Amino acid sequence: MTYDIQAVGESQDAAEPTDVTAAVAQKQIEGKSPWVLALRRLRRDRAAMICLGVIILIVACAVGAPIFAEITGHGNMQQFPNIGRDAAGQPVGPNGTFWLGTDTLGRDLLVRIAYGARISLFVGVVATAVTVVGGTIIGLAAGYFGGAVDSILARFMDWLLAVPFLLFAISLFSVAVVHPIFGIIGPGLPIVIIVLGFFGWASVGRLVRGQVLSIKEKEYIEAARALGAGPWRIMLVDILPNLLAPLIVYSTLLIPATIVGEATLSFLGVGVQPPTADWGQMISDASTIFLYGPWWYLLFPSIALLITTLAFNIFGDGVRDAFDPRGDLYV
Amino acid sequence: MTHETTAAAASAATADDVLLKVDGLVKHFPVKSSKLIQTEREYVHAVEHVSLEVRRGETLGLVGETGCGKSTLARCVARLYPVTAGRIWFDGREITNLPPRKMRPLRRDIQMIFQDPYGSLNPRRRVGSIIGDPFSIHRTARGEDRRRKVQHLMELVGLNPEHYNRFPAEFSGGQRQRIGVARALAFSPKLIICDEPVSALDVSIQAQILNLLSDLQRELGLTYVFIAHDLSVVRHVSDRVAVMYLGRIVEQAPAEEMWGHPRHPYTDALLSAVPLPDPEHASQRERIILAGDVPSPIHPPSGCRFHPRCPKARQTCVTDEPELITRLGDRADHLAACHYPVADGEDISLSKPAIAEDQRVVESGLIAGA
Repeated sequence: MTYDIQAVGESQDAAEPTDVTAAVAQKQIEGKSPWVLALRRLRRDRAAMICLGVIILIVACAVGAPIFAEITGHGNMQQFPNIGRDAAGQPVGPNGTFWLGTDTLGRDLLVRIAYGARISLFVGVVATAVTVVGGTIIGLAAGYFGGAVDSILARFMDWLLAVPFLLFAISLFSVAVVHPIFGIIGPGLPIVIIVLGFFGWASVGRLVRGQVLSIKEKEYIEAARALGAGPWRIMLVDILPNLLAPLIVYSTLLIPATIVGEATLSFLGVGVQPPTADWGQMISDASTIFLYGPWWYLLFPSIALLITTLAFNIFGDGVRDAFDPRGDLYV
Repeated sequence: MTHETTAAAASAATADDVLLKVDGLVKHFPVKSSKLIQTEREYVHAVEHVSLEVRRGETLGLVGETGCGKSTLARCVARLYPVTAGRIWFDGREITNLPPRKMRPLRRDIQMIFQDPYGSLNPRRRVGSIIGDPFSIHRTARGEDRRRKVQHLMELVGLNPEHYNRFPAEFSGGQRQRIGVARALAFSPKLIICDEPVSALDVSIQAQILNLLSDLQRELGLTYVFIAHDLSVVRHVSDRVAVMYLGRIVEQAPAEEMWGHPRHPYTDALLSAVPLPDPEHASQRERIILAGDVPSPIHPPSGCRFHPRCPKARQTCVTDEPELITRLGDRADHLAACHYPVADGEDISLSKPAIAEDQRVVESGLIAGA
């Protein structure tokens, strides 16, 4: 925090340039934006920076998953019934060929974990984006227009937050599979993203609505109206920039929650379907045979999930401290 | 109440001279009740039958206690609030119910300067873009052209144009208020409504901003409606002054006339509260201390709204509403809404109300029993 105060102090000194210093001051006349200051604070947060490194590493693993396949010579879906399973037909433990062991079908766990990172990150980012964009638009409309629009949208959000997410998700899956009119809509990536987004936007909407309600009463909004600005301009130019900080903070903390949500759905069998490699599905599969010995099958996907969510969470905390040093936001 | 006649009497000027005319303006705010089913809606009577005129090039001071409806009146005139009843003319054109699209071009001519130099500037935007807002909203200038215009405005209000790219947080309160003034000046508006522009500032900074405003008025021929609760500030800047109490104008007169011959007991009490620089004068003067608090604007008192606190209150004040007309043979532009106006030299701190405490009707809803 101290460096921040210093930075503001320095710029204020430069605010009253004398003729002598005017030429010198010209170069540094540009004020530091709140973003620059926040990023500077973030850069000095060691834990957040380490976690950012971990996140970059995970992203690299996901992007470079085919490289793992190339190195080990084992494909993503390739089954090794002979070398990948022992005499009793059980998975083999970590060894020189399969570095992290194999699964029940004799597939290379390392390669599948790397491919599983793709699903986790993709769903984490895309479902979060859907959630945040949807929640922002609806929260902005509810908070700004107020009245009947607000009543309807706010009650809908309350209702949505009251619906038990997992029960609904599981039943949606069974409905989707057997529905006679809509045909067979099997569970899969699009459904996972839609379900997570549908149940996620309400909390973003509530956060945004609350912020808009307080920002709307600020005099600068009244000033904009007095200048003749229309509702769109006020929402986009005057209100939205004030929402970006809480939204960035919320999004970074939402990503790990979404990743866990996707893993949960897949664990329950209503998410990403086999044979696609997915961490939640691996954990689910492993938990049934865990007691018979193959500890690696449960351990390594779990560690991958743990490290990913932990890295995103600690990084998110750092982002919150950087963007909201006074602790105004309760996200 | 015949507002038209009183308003007409107030203006010795011709119609051409009048820039802003407000006639019988009423603004009620519904009170949100916590009850689930509302049987009867209650309203805050923020502004009640206010009529006034502002002439080109003059400064009309608007004074009154906090909550008396000054700011609401200003925001109604600037069309930030919809009006409950009454009419507003600006520059010979009625703007009372003009739809937003038609109102937009007129917004260039009616501008506002706000009270809070911290709240009235968006903290996330650079000063250049804040001052350039009028140009981008009305699409009159962009890019380099806009930057030049903004920097010219900054120079005009005494800001360093090189600070174009700074954020509001990097300026002091006085400088921020200058930013607000620059923004209001963008299109050389005909009317600027100053809503307590100096009350949030240090006294030394107040003088700077007041001088800036009067310099700008001289150079650009501006018309001001100047709201304040500091009487010495109002006396300094205003040509004419209107005193408001609980949503009504109780007295209206040229500044010097008002200070010389206050007619309404409320005006008299306000003026007696102004600090005097000369301690000898100050100790000689009798301060009029009003009894009680301002009544609730949800249930304003019957008759004269000031009667529950007035030292001169009589039965007429409870039942009859006084008109805003010339009293005690004053000049035509000095109006007061009082049945028993204060005579020159009268000391109302010696007066006692002629009616008992329990006869005073604080809430109009109770009048049936009185």
